[in-house]
This record gives sequence, C-alpha cells and structure tokens, in this order.
Amino acid sequence: MENELVAPVWPEWFDQAAAIQDYESAPPPTRKDEAWRFANISALDLGPFVSAPEVSNEGRLIVASSGLERFSAKMVFANNALVHEEAPHLPGGVVFTPLEVAAREHEALFRKYFMAQPVELGSHKYAALHKGSVTGGAFLYVPPDTEVSLPVEIFHWAEGQGTSVFPHTLIVCGENSRVTVLDRFQSADGLAAFACGVNDLHLAKGARLTYVAVQDWSRDTLAFHLNSTIVDAGALCTSLATNFGGGFVRGESLSRLVGEGARSEMYSINPVEGTREVDQRTLQDHVAPNASSDLLYLNALDDKARTIFAGLIKVQPGANGTDAYQKVRNLILSDEADPNSMPGLEILNDDVRCSHGATNGPVSEDELFYLQARGIRREAASRLIVNGFFNALLEKLEDPALRAHLEDLLAKRLKVSQYAG
Amino acid sequence: MSLHIQNLHANIGEREILRGLDLEVPKGEVHAIMGKNGSGKSTLAKVMAGHPDYDVTAGSVTLDGASLFGMEEPDERARAGLFVAFQYPMEVPGVTIANFIRAARQARLTEDEDLDAVEYYEELYAKMDSLKIPRNFTSRAVNEGFSGGEKKRCEILQLAMLAPKYAVLDETDSGLDIDALKVVSDGVNALRSPDRGFLVITHYQRLLDYIVPDVVHVMVDGRIVLSGDKDLALKLEAEGYDWVEKEALATA
Amino acid sequence: MNTETKPDVNIDRSLGDFSYDVDYEFDAGLGLTERTIDYISDVKKDPDWIRAFRKDALRKFQGMPMPTHWASHDLDNIVFENIRYYLSQGTEPKRSWDDVPADVKRTFERLGIPEQERKFLAGVEAQFDSEAAYSNIKAAVGEQGVVFVGSTDGLQKHPEIFRKWFGKVIPTGDNKFSALNSAVFSGGSFIYIPPGVKVKHPLQAYFRINAENFGQFERTLIIADEGSEVMYMEGCTAPKFETSTLHSAVVELVALKGAKIQYITVQNWSANVFNLVTKRGLAHEDAEIKWIDCNIGSRLTMKYPGVIMKGRRARGEVISIALAGDGQHQDTGAKMVHAADDTTSNIVSKSISLGKGRSTYRGLVQIGRHLKGCKNNTECDALLINTESRTDTYPAITVRGRENACQHEASVSKINAEQIFYMQQRGIPKAAAMSLAVNGFVNDLVQQFPMEYSVELKRLIDLEMEGSVG
Repeated sequence: MENELVAPVWPEWFDQAAAIQDYESAPPPTRKDEAWRFANISALDLGPFVSAPEVSNEGRLIVASSGLERFSAKMVFANNALVHEEAPHLPGGVVFTPLEVAAREHEALFRKYFMAQPVELGSHKYAALHKGSVTGGAFLYVPPDTEVSLPVEIFHWAEGQGTSVFPHTLIVCGENSRVTVLDRFQSADGLAAFACGVNDLHLAKGARLTYVAVQDWSRDTLAFHLNSTIVDAGALCTSLATNFGGGFVRGESLSRLVGEGARSEMYSINPVEGTREVDQRTLQDHVAPNASSDLLYLNALDDKARTIFAGLIKVQPGANGTDAYQKVRNLILSDEADPNSMPGLEILNDDVRCSHGATNGPVSEDELFYLQARGIRREAASRLIVNGFFNALLEKLEDPALRAHLEDLLAKRLKVSQYAG
Repeated sequence: MSLHIQNLHANIGEREILRGLDLEVPKGEVHAIMGKNGSGKSTLAKVMAGHPDYDVTAGSVTLDGASLFGMEEPDERARAGLFVAFQYPMEVPGVTIANFIRAARQARLTEDEDLDAVEYYEELYAKMDSLKIPRNFTSRAVNEGFSGGEKKRCEILQLAMLAPKYAVLDETDSGLDIDALKVVSDGVNALRSPDRGFLVITHYQRLLDYIVPDVVHVMVDGRIVLSGDKDLALKLEAEGYDWVEKEALATA
Repeated sequence: MNTETKPDVNIDRSLGDFSYDVDYEFDAGLGLTERTIDYISDVKKDPDWIRAFRKDALRKFQGMPMPTHWASHDLDNIVFENIRYYLSQGTEPKRSWDDVPADVKRTFERLGIPEQERKFLAGVEAQFDSEAAYSNIKAAVGEQGVVFVGSTDGLQKHPEIFRKWFGKVIPTGDNKFSALNSAVFSGGSFIYIPPGVKVKHPLQAYFRINAENFGQFERTLIIADEGSEVMYMEGCTAPKFETSTLHSAVVELVALKGAKIQYITVQNWSANVFNLVTKRGLAHEDAEIKWIDCNIGSRLTMKYPGVIMKGRRARGEVISIALAGDGQHQDTGAKMVHAADDTTSNIVSKSISLGKGRSTYRGLVQIGRHLKGCKNNTECDALLINTESRTDTYPAITVRGRENACQHEASVSKINAEQIFYMQQRGIPKAAAMSLAVNGFVNDLVQQFPMEYSVELKRLIDLEMEGSVG
C-alpha cells in the first residue's frame, strides 16, 4: 500500500496565497488584547523556523507510530508528508484521506467544513498561516448511522532543527454516527520545531465522537493547536487534549452547541515543568436550548512552569435550559511555578445552570502522609498523587482500551511505573 | 524483640494529648488498647506513624530496638516495619489500589530490583479473595467512594501485602457490620504470627471477641492506667470506664 | 413561571429622585482644561503642590485611552466637554444643620441624614455637589483625637499625615478615572484615627448630586493608626436627569499595624449616573480592611474595591451586593493583592440582574511566589430574574508558591420557580414572593451591614423589584 502514496496537490480553487496575505496583514498579538492577557508574546518569534525538509528515515517513524493494539485505520505524517496509511477495519462508506484528496474527491464536504469556523480566541493570524501552509492532514468523514468501532489513529511527526509543521485533522460525523480518533503529535528528535495545527470537529445530530489529542512535541517546540467543535442536536463530543511536550504551547478550543440537547465535554491534562508554558483559551458557546457542556482542565506545575487558562462559558439569549460547567485545577509542585486562571462566564439567559471554579493548591499533605505511611518515599508518593490527579480525568473516557493506553502514556510521561488493571 | 513505647509525650499545637505513655508489645503477641473517645488512642497511632500535625515532646518508641523517632519521614518508619491501619483512611483520587500497593512494595526493594508483575497479581488476588474483596477493586482509586467496610478491608489488604513487623489497627471495627467485622478479623487472625506484633485500638469490646488479645491496656488521658488479660475488656464492657478512672486517680 | 413581563423602566420612586434649585456661588463651567484646574485650585486655595498634582493628573487623564478593550463601550458615551467639574456654594462646611442654607438643607432633611446622625452616628459629613455643606463629629469622638473633616481641610490642616499617604495607595495613573479624580477632586473625607482608638459608632458621609450635567469627584483618605478601629459608611443618591451625570471618586484606606477599617457603601444612584470609582486599601501587619459594598442604581458602575496586604497576617475582605435594574450595568468586583506571608482574603459577591440589567464580576487575586501561608477564597453567585437579564464573571487569578492556596467558585441561577409557587400557594403575591426570594438570596450578606443599613437595603431591593414582575 505504501508505494501507492503520491505527493498530493491542492486543487486550484484552494487559495493559499490569499491566506498567507491574510497572515501577513493581520497585526501580531499584544498583551493588551484580552485574548492574550498574561501571554508571553515574546515566545511567538517565528524567525528561527524554516519549511520542513523531507524526513531522513520515514521507516523509523512509521515503526514508531504505534498506538493502540487494535485500530480501524491509521495515517502517519512526517514533516507534513503522508508517509503511511492503512485501514484494516474501516467500515465501508467511511472516508479517511489526506486533505488534498478530500478537496478534490469530496469537494462539497470539504468546502462546507474546512476551517469553516472563524478563529475567535486570539490566533486568527496563525490560523491564516496554517491555512496558507497546510499540506497533508487528515480528513475523516463518517456517514450517517455508521459506527467505527475501533479507534482511528493519526500520527504527526516533526523532525529537524527549526522545522515547521502544520498538522490538520478535520472530522465530519454524520447523523447518529460513532467514532473515536486518537491524534498524536510527536518530535522525531529533541530539536526545536514550529507546529501550527488545526483540528475541527463537526458532529451532526445524534453523532458521538471521542477525540483525543496527545501532544508530545520536543521541549523546545513552539506549538499552536487550534480547535473548533460544532455539536448539533443530541450529539456528544468528548475531547481530551494532553500537553506532554512543547516549550510554548498555545491551545485554543471552542465548542459551539448548535442543536437542542447537544453536549460537549472538553478535558485537558497538562503536566508542565522546566520553563515550559501552556497557554489555553476556551469557549463554551451555548447557542441552542437544553445543551450541556463540561470543561475540566488539570494542570500540574513544577519548576518554573507557567500556565494560563482563560475560559468562557457563553450562554446566548435563546439557549434556555443550558447546563454548563467549567473548572480549572492547578496542582502546584514548586514555588517558582506560575499559574494564571481566568475562568469566565457570560450569561444572557436566566434559565441556566452554570458554574465554574478555579483552585490552586499543593499536593495534599494528608495524602502524602498516607502514602508515606505505607513506605512510599515522599518524592515517589508525590508523583503517584500527580498521576492520580490526571488519571481521575481519564476515567471519563468510555473505551477501556483507549483509557488503558492513555494511562500508560501518562505514567510513562510522569515516570510512574504502573500496572494496568 | 518488641514494639516498645516509653514515657511518650505528644502535643497537637499547644495541647498535650499523650502524657507519658508506656507500653510494650512483644513480637508474636496481640495487645489491645481500650479507652473512651478523646483518651488519645488515635493520636498514639498517628504519632507513631509520624503524622506532621503532632509534636513529640518527650519519650521514645523503638521497633526491635530501632528508634522510630530517629526516622523522620513516615515512609522510613513504614519500611522499618510499622504499619498503621487508619480509622479514616485517606482517599487518593486516580491512584488505583493495584498501583498503590505496588508502589509501596517497590519502595521496599533496592533500586535495581523490579517487582514481578505476575507473582504480584497472584498474591494480590489471593489476598483479596480471602478478604472477600471483589477483584475489580484493584482498578478503583484508593478508598475513593468506598463504604466504611470497604475502606477497612482495603487497609487489611495492605497490611497483608506489606507484611509489617508490627501492625497498629486504629478503630478498625468502626463502621463495620457483623459480617464485615468477621471478614476483617479473620484477615487479621490469619496474619498473626510469632514474627509479628499487633496493637489493636478500639473502644468496643466486640472486636476482641474476634481478635482475642493476649493483653488489654486501658488508656485514660494519654496514659496507660491499667493492664490485664482479655477479661479486662469484658469488665470494661459491662461496667464502663468510670471505675478505671477512679482507680487511676487514686493511684496517681 | 412567567417572568417575561417588561419591567417598569421608570423605577424612580426611590427616595433620592428629586432636586431643588440651588444658587451656586462657584461654577467652573462646562469642560475640562488647565483653566478648570486653576479655577478649582483658586476657589479651594490649594497649596502649590496640590495644584501641580492636579495638572500632572490632567495630563495623565488626557493621555490615557478609555479602557474599552475590556470595559463597556458605554464609556464612550461620556462627553467630558458637557460636564461641569466644580459647583459649590462655598468651601466651608457648616458645623450645625441650622447654618446650612435652606435650599441645601431640605435635601438632606428629606434624605433623613440629620435624623440618622442623632440616632446612631459618631460623625457626619454631607456633601452637596462639589463641597460638604455640613460636617460634624460628636464631641466625645473628637476628644479622642479622631479627625473627621473634608479633604480640603485635611490637606490644609493636617498636611503632615495627609501628604504622607495621599495618592500612595492609588497612584494618579492607576486608571483613567483615578487620573480624572486626581485632577479635579473636591470633597470627600479625611479621617485619622489615633493609635489604639476604637471608634464605637460609625462615621458617615453622604454624597448628593443635585445639579444636571455635573461631575462629582470626591476624594477620601482614611488612616487608621496602630491598633485603632473605625467603621465608615457612605450613602449616595442623585436625582434622575435626562442627561448623564458622572461620579468618579477615589478612596484610599491605610490600616497600620493591627488596625481595622470597615468601609460600607450603600449607593442608590439614579439611572443616568456613570459611577466610576477606584477604591483600595493598604493593610499592614495584622491589620484588617473590609469593604462592604452595595451597588444599586446608576447607568454604569465600575468599581473593584481592593486590598493590598503588605504586612504579615493582614486580612482583606470584600462583601459585595449588586443589583442591576433594567438597562443598568453593575460592573463590580474585587482586587486582592497578597504581598506578605500568612495573609488571607475573602471575596463574596452576589449580584441580581433584572429586566435587561447586566451585572459583571471582575476579580483579581494575586499571591506572589516567595510567600507562604496565604489564602484566598472567592465566591460569586449571580441571580437572573428575567429572560433578558445578563451576568458575566471574569476573574483573573495568579497564585504562586506551594504553600499558598486559593479557591474560586461561581454559579449562576434563576429564581427558583418552585419556591415562588410555594409562597404563592401560601397566599403571597408573586411580586412579593420574588422580593422575598431575592432578599433571601442576599440575606447572609445583608446581615453584615449595620442594622439601620440592612433595613434600608431591603427597602431598596423591594423598590427595584417592584417593576420587574407582572
């Protein structure tokens, strides 16, 4: 199958030059912009980055692209190029192709959904850069009433000093369809890269999507991950973003509930240490009545780590019966860590149940004592508690195999040895 | 070879709770401490375990001659062979029982030793079965959402898995119905051995019908005021603590 | 439950909506230039440093943009050229109500100020437009060395204390409106409590706007010396005019070691007032500053009382009730800056939005990384009465250091229909039931007001509620 891969090209109507112009004319962010409050603007210097070369050894990356034991389909991108695809268990009718192919062969769908939502949370400029630069990227369309029982996996690799990658994942779920997607972002080496990714999720009525992004770029990578999720009536999207890597990560995530009874779950796991910064902005936009959303972002900060969480629940005038929740929890592991929380509410309807919260605090001394009383050393006890802090969120995922896989990735990341069970 | 407590004084904040407590539990024996609420029983357990809220102002505790207070961190004391089953075990969100006990076992090995997963699970399951703990508990977070009885059984499971030299059971019977009490006591009785000493803290005699002690001590105001055999527990159950307190006052 | 009924737009039955014609001796005229500053300084016989301070502030004010990148664009509707910045009958307040000119006195009589003074106050200052018409302190309190005068008197008669703290808690350029106040301030209180003196009864100031197209810019500075205690209460009203009125005060509090200051505000501005106020306190070691703030009325209120805890074990607290009537925007909140170990702060904010009213909570909590033992707790609850009511919450929390903790919680709810039904079933009319429910919502906070004020507050809430249900 691999030999059939040809470098895809965009159709002519896909105007990347205009997007680059848009990028160049858009003013750079300043801290005076509310969307960039507290942000480290100086981290946004794109000077050192170059376009991505071909990777040196794609075979190695393909082998390393191993996720779940059983999956329905997989794509591997290395420095923006598709280097591998397979679809052992993909049901008929499901479209899983590189973006350019989708633009040609499924033009109507592509035009309707590709970056269809304006980027509202501050990074319009970088979204334009993405649009002007993207090649490759995955397009997944699940037709109505179709269930993809095993997860779809997508791997994006960055390799080389200063390389720029533009990962893109576009998922369109037809009515009452069901699918799980695991999106992995990795560095082939420890070198500094620029990653500017977009993932857009569209759920038609009654659809069920679980989308998990595991971001593990090198510690020197400057990364943007811009998400929008549109959920129609009765549909449910569960999304989880883990930021394991990256030196400066800007994440923007917008969920818009456009149909009655829609639900969006937005979760994030962020172990941050060294001088890493994770800057996340979110919006739960309730347009339709009786919809619900649940946001839980967990940060554990060590050393001189920095996090920003700025979230907003917006309940539009017509959104009666909204049930929305938003919470950020910062676990503080060092005195130098710098967590900033801005959980916001804008409620324009009285028939709502909305609450939000933000907590900051150290690892509980009582928990530490209990673990120590069982003979576990303080340092290991602390790591175990941090692991537990994050694991509790993974319990919200339904698929046990996916959950076990993520528990494993998390334990490795936190250097906690663990048994599945 | 014993767990030996001598003239132990301990405060919480400015308040003195233990006021010169003496007690020796020889290896192989089961001793019980009885006393009313507030007599300092739970404080004794926490002080021995090294809870940071308590200050030891005088006295010593030794495990087979090794000074407990020479070990600063609670985990050092635990690895030295002291196990405390707590009255109110902490919930540890997101950390499964299997991983928790495993981490405790791993901490008792040297750095280059690794626990054998297969053996570990075999042992864990066997001990869970004997304590009538459902196997799916291994993947539940430690104590989170557990009933009172489940928490206590989980403590005894840890006791079994960590095989300490001395075990202190703090009000292990509280919150247990009679069936659960029997399961827990059977678990403890199975762990009685010439190589292990037990100190069972309780304020009801009931538990001592199931875990029959060699010696019963009565604690009043942070001191042991009276010791005797298991019949002492029956007398306390029947007559209350007033007579002990009076005797204690008379001899003080 | 039907809450669709349009609220009555003219909730002007409240006590403060009336005005009398008054002859002003001094009028700075419309607009704000250096000449306006010179006029004010001349009338007030300012020392040179104050004149220079004002002119520096004017430049800062003119140089700063409207903060509409985060605040309401309604600010752009303030026409600074159409405002009179100084209006008075003279700069010397009277010590006896008998000496207050009749045209001014009848306003305060109608507001009940002299009566309250007799009943339970240790001192009163009554400001009418730019200057205090009346200022008095009970003899016994004066004998303890307590100073309670207007800001002009304060700077002229107590320059050594005044100058040490004036503008130190809130720098001129803190924000555009603190700069404006610094340029044209007049009136307000200067209070000094000597070490160890605990003032038993509250000191009260009453701020009355009478004139149309006018801006009131009082400046209050309270210094509680070591171990002293004081409670200060302010009330504010204005008549309802067609044109907008501006109220922009600056209030600075200094609580020295072990001192306690409670600052209570009950404002009931009419719906044409832009109320843009900067309030901040500096708490030294073991000191406590508590703001109890009740905002009713106004077109737009922006006010975020703050405490800078600069000494160990200092405590800061903001208790806030805001009621945004139809077409009103209460943009309130709190700032807590922890700058020493073991400092604690607490914020409790409850807001109610009626009709198309909008209430906004903005909070800032900062705990620095080298500190330990600091704690903040924030609770914000919003109640929405009508379908078009709106509420926003925008906290910003930066809490560093492993030995500090903070917790923020906010919730939004509507009136519990079951509760209303239950009360109606017992024969209580719907409007009264709604009032009861709203009073219940804020009751735990109202308890913290002195009794005389809590009664007043309940009455104001009832008045505002009247128009909001059918």
